[in-house]
Formats: sequence, structure tokens, C-alpha cells
Amino acid sequence: MRSSVSSVSLERKGTLLKLYSLLIFLFLYLPLLVVIVFSFSPTKTIVGMSGVTTRWYKDLIHDRALLKALLHSFEVGVSAVFIALLFGTSGAFFITKVRFPGKGLLRALVMLPFVLPGIIMGLTLLIFVRNLNIPLSMITILMGHVSFTTPIVMFQVSARLQRMGPNFQLAAQDLGATPFKTFWYVTLPMIRTALIGAALLAFTVSFDEIVISYFLTGTWMTLPVYLYGMLRFGLSPKVYAVSGFILVFSLFLILLMTKYIGRSGEELALRR
Amino acid sequence: MKRRKRKFDEPRSFLKGIPIFVWLIILVIVPLIFTFTMSFYSSAGLVIEKSFTLKNYRLFITDPIYSRILFKSLWLSLAVAILSIGMAYPLAYMVSFKMVRGRNLLFMMCIIPLWVSYLVRIIAWRSILGNRGVINTILMGIGLIKEPLQIFLYNRFAVAITLTYICIPFVFIPVYTALEKIPRNILHAASDLGANEFHTFLNVVLPLSMPGLITGFIFSFIIALGDYIIPLQLGGTQGIMFGNLIWSQFGFAFNWPFGAALGFVLFVISVTILGVTAKFGSTEGGFFE
Repeated sequence: MRSSVSSVSLERKGTLLKLYSLLIFLFLYLPLLVVIVFSFSPTKTIVGMSGVTTRWYKDLIHDRALLKALLHSFEVGVSAVFIALLFGTSGAFFITKVRFPGKGLLRALVMLPFVLPGIIMGLTLLIFVRNLNIPLSMITILMGHVSFTTPIVMFQVSARLQRMGPNFQLAAQDLGATPFKTFWYVTLPMIRTALIGAALLAFTVSFDEIVISYFLTGTWMTLPVYLYGMLRFGLSPKVYAVSGFILVFSLFLILLMTKYIGRSGEELALRR
Repeated sequence: MKRRKRKFDEPRSFLKGIPIFVWLIILVIVPLIFTFTMSFYSSAGLVIEKSFTLKNYRLFITDPIYSRILFKSLWLSLAVAILSIGMAYPLAYMVSFKMVRGRNLLFMMCIIPLWVSYLVRIIAWRSILGNRGVINTILMGIGLIKEPLQIFLYNRFAVAITLTYICIPFVFIPVYTALEKIPRNILHAASDLGANEFHTFLNVVLPLSMPGLITGFIFSFIIALGDYIIPLQLGGTQGIMFGNLIWSQFGFAFNWPFGAALGFVLFVISVTILGVTAKFGSTEGGFFE
């Protein structure tokens, strides 16, 4: 952190710029506030909103299909994270520790699922599972989610490995540790927070994902897909209540995540 | 451990690479190959005929509807990218240069919207722009209009504003990272040499932040170009985009081979843009590390 250097502020205080930034902050946060306000409104509009009600939230508990979708989202999220931890972590070790030509190409290919528009991942995977006669089910949704959780884990972990350098492992080996012991006692504790952070990030993204899932969903739905289905009947108080719940839960995950993914912005930015 | 200067490590260490290659082949490469193959099939009713034909690509090129929608989408994506930069760049500049305290908090506040559910943010904009939405309610409340206006939702404007909203953090992050990397003593030097803030910005800050700017631009452009949920939810018939054109081939139009061809067109466009700009954009500190 550079506290002394950052006070270099360029002569003027930039009042106009701050005002403009404030407007953009309003642009970013007012829409979210609208959702929250609507979710507590007894009527459908904000004008004439008399009082606050938690009725819509209470109604959610009795919606069995909704609770099922929520459970499905957890199932998919947790599974996608675990699979990604296996594939992504080994991939991270491979790309940082093993010498081979064409690393750049491998990096670019692994990156594809999140630099490409989600629609491309969705339709290619749909065509893939249809060719293999895999019916649309949890498995297909899970495949879609593993396609983007794996790069998240891989890039978070490989960033940490790169920063660590090889010296700790070399020291452990010089002291006679087996490769397994080196991994268990030296490397793993050092990448632990990166793993937790990546897992939380991957889960957050998976929990909200719809663009790819929408292609791969049959009757087995995750929460966002279920919510999307609710939208066909317009914006009901229930839609707002579900949105409000998702919003708060996402914020909770984000705050949890910031504890593990470094304090500096750079690391936070590793993935959308 | 002996360190040899070799191109390849010993074969045993390649075992680590197996899982990621399996992942890559099953979830990325083979699906792309299948899609490419399917784009040369044709659809007859509900059956897909597996004989080679260029019909889909020919249809895409000859029927002006498709290229018109593509060009409309490209324009809209360009507008979205420019709007996002117009909002995110000053914001990043402010947080990076003008804030002494509370920078980390402000930074967090700029990127939190990124992880708040995409669908919830779409719902938010529907409820703002809609018939009984916030804008109409306010306008009616202050007596400017009697009946709710229908001009806000179901058009290109609604799609552009929502896409911009989604894209802002994607521009903010690479720009902010680039700005943070600029050594502050360069700015001192510029002001010692008599440059005012505007000149310093134009001649020093802007060129040095260009890689981040380009990365942000490309990201927002590609996100806008490939989106289909936002035009479906807020676009109506006027706001149809290339993304929902593709989606509809897998939905009610049920022409998977044509959808595969359109998808492949989008794939080629995206990869070309990414490939060409990878040289100019920053790959570090952005989204990939």
C-alpha cells in the first residue's frame, strides 16, 4: 500500500469528477435498492407504499418447487466447485511447475469458457450432450458449470503458485521430504486461502449462472432458471422476494470471499 | 533437484496435466468440433439430416435479415462499450487518483455489482423501465404524464442501458488496475514540467492506461454482442440481437444446424477480436491474471 504517495493528488480536488462518480454510484446501486424496496412493498408500486411487509418472503417458504430449485442450486454449486478444485488445482500445478512449449496456447484455451460469450458455451455443450444422447438433467447443468468453475480455480491457484516461487518446495525437498509430504506440509498450507477464495468465487458465479444453464436445463432447474420461468408471468411480489433473497445471499458470499482473496484489487479481479 | 535447461520436463510430471486436458477436450474442444460439424447439417422438421451442406452459411450470407441483425448488434455493442468506458473510466480515475482514504471500500463498491446476480439486475431494470415501473410512477407522481409511457421498455434503448449496467465493472477492473500501475512520480515530473492536470491526463495517464482501456472495451463489446437474456427480457421486437437470433434456433425455430452455424459465426467474431487485441490489451491484472 502506498499511503504517502497516494496523497500526491493532482492539485485540484476534482469536485466535478467526484460528483460524476457519485452519479455513477447511484446508477450502480439504485436498481438494486429498487428490488429490495419492491420486495417489502405490500402493493405493487412504490408510490402509495403503505408500510412494509415481510409477507412475500414468508410465502417463499411454502413454495416447494422454489425450495427444490434452491436445493438444486446448492447441489450443482458444491459439485461444480469440488470438481473444479480437482481439475483446476492440478491444472495450475501443471502450468506453473512443468516445462513444456505452447503454454500460452493452453492458457488461452482454458480461458475460452469465460472470455467467450456464455451463449457459445451453452449451445456447444447442448449440441455435445445431444450427440451423446445425454438427457437434459443435473449432469448436463453440472457440465455447463464445471466449464467455467475450472478456469476460475486454475487461474486463482496458478497466480498464487507463481507468486510463491519454487524455493519453498526446493527447500523441503533438500531437507528430505517426499513429493507428497512437500505438497501436504508446505505447498497446501500456502495455497489454502487461494483455494478457499477460488471455491467461494466459483460457487458465487455458479449460484447466479443462467446464460449457460438455460441451454442445458430440462425439468431439473436451478434457482436462477426457476426465477427466469417465474418472469413469464410478469414481475410479481414473489419475484422481488426471490430476487431480494438472492441479492442478500450473493452479498454475503462476496463479503466472505473478500476475506480470502487478497486485499488488493488485482487479485479480486481475477474473475468477473 | 537437478535443473536442466530443457524444453520438456520428464514425462512423469505430465501426469499432472491429464485432468485439465480431459476437461479441455470434453467441455471445450469436442463441443466446438461437434458444433462446427452440425453447422454443415440441415434440419428437416424435427429431424437433423446428417449430410454435408453449405445451406446454413449460404442462408446467413444471402438473407439480409441475418446480416442486418448482426450489424445492428455490432453497433449496439459498440455503443455499449463506449458508454461503459464513459462511466467506468472516470470512476476508476477518481478512485485511483482522487481518493486518499476509503479507496479499498470504494474499489469494492465498484465491483460488487459484478457478482450480484445477473438475473436480479435484469429484473431491477425491468422494474425501473416497465409500464408500472419506477420511472413511470415518478413521472405520473409529479404530474408530467397521465398515462404510463411505454417508450422505456422493449426497445434498443432498454437493452443498451441494461448491458451498460452489466458491463461497467468489466471496464472498471482493467482500467483501475492499469491506473494503479502508473508510478506516481511520473505525474510529479509532469507537473514539475508545467503540465496541468488535463495535459498530464492526456499525455501521460491516458496512454499508460491504454492497455486496460482496450481490455475493458473488448470485454464489454463481446459481452454485449453475445448476450441473449437481456434482449429477450427487455428488447421486445425492436431490440432483437444476434444473441437471441441464435437462441431462437434452439428454441421455437428448432433449427439446430442453422443455430450452430450462427453460433460459429459469433465464435469466429469473438476469437478474432480477442486475438487481434490481445497484443494491445493487458492480459495481466485483468480477468485472467
